[in-house]
Amino acid sequence: MAQSNPPFMSGVPELLLLRLLDDREMYGYELVRSIRQVTGEAISLGEGVIYPVLHALERNGALKSRRKDVGGRTRVYYTVTAKGRGRLERLADEWRRVQSGIDTALAGAASAGA
Amino acid sequence: MPVPDLVALRRTFLAAGTANPFVDRTILELADHFEDLVDAGCADGLKRSDAEQRALATLGELDVLEQAVRRQPALKSWAWNWPRVASVFYPLAWLVALPMLPVAAGVAHAPEIARWAGGIVLAAFVTATMFLVLQLSIASA
Repeated sequence: MAQSNPPFMSGVPELLLLRLLDDREMYGYELVRSIRQVTGEAISLGEGVIYPVLHALERNGALKSRRKDVGGRTRVYYTVTAKGRGRLERLADEWRRVQSGIDTALAGAASAGA
Repeated sequence: MPVPDLVALRRTFLAAGTANPFVDRTILELADHFEDLVDAGCADGLKRSDAEQRALATLGELDVLEQAVRRQPALKSWAWNWPRVASVFYPLAWLVALPMLPVAAGVAHAPEIARWAGGIVLAAFVTATMFLVLQLSIASA
């Protein structure tokens, strides 16, 4: 039976955030910059929209946060939990599965058109 | 001066049913993010007002942020998720809380109340001692 892929589109910001935070602790502004950098500016978001995603991930136990005073400002730094790593693996597998399906479809369409 | 309208943001997030702690966190982080964007704009050679304008546009329109919050059911307040339970719970909670308010006020002002109580006890002791001395002097006379 074919698997459904509901996180296909809605899971992309989650996938990117979890992947980046898996490397090191970061705060919101830093994360947005990193997303731009690692995706070659292919993905740009209204930058404020990452916060609801971060908070939801934290609420679900995938991230944990701590506040840190830096230069008179209070910044919230996020890190991935063990649960978050599991979620990252699942989302990454799902993404590869979808990507492979699309690649196959595109190759098929190209050969059919040839 | 273009700065994020934090009051409007707060109102929008609360109207979307977001729980208070998440509203506070989001506002704090958005304000910090805005400052980072302005600093980056100034470092790029923009005037502060232009940097602020660009920072606002980069941060996202109010309705975009609202949509982002609405897409996260995990951030909804419990009263938003269970409105009927909330409509029963809140009046009951107030009924319990109202008689507790004087007690809470007493606890909050405990040092002042202790000072006053100490003063009254001391005054009563001094008065009782004076009466005792008076009584003894009358009895011995």
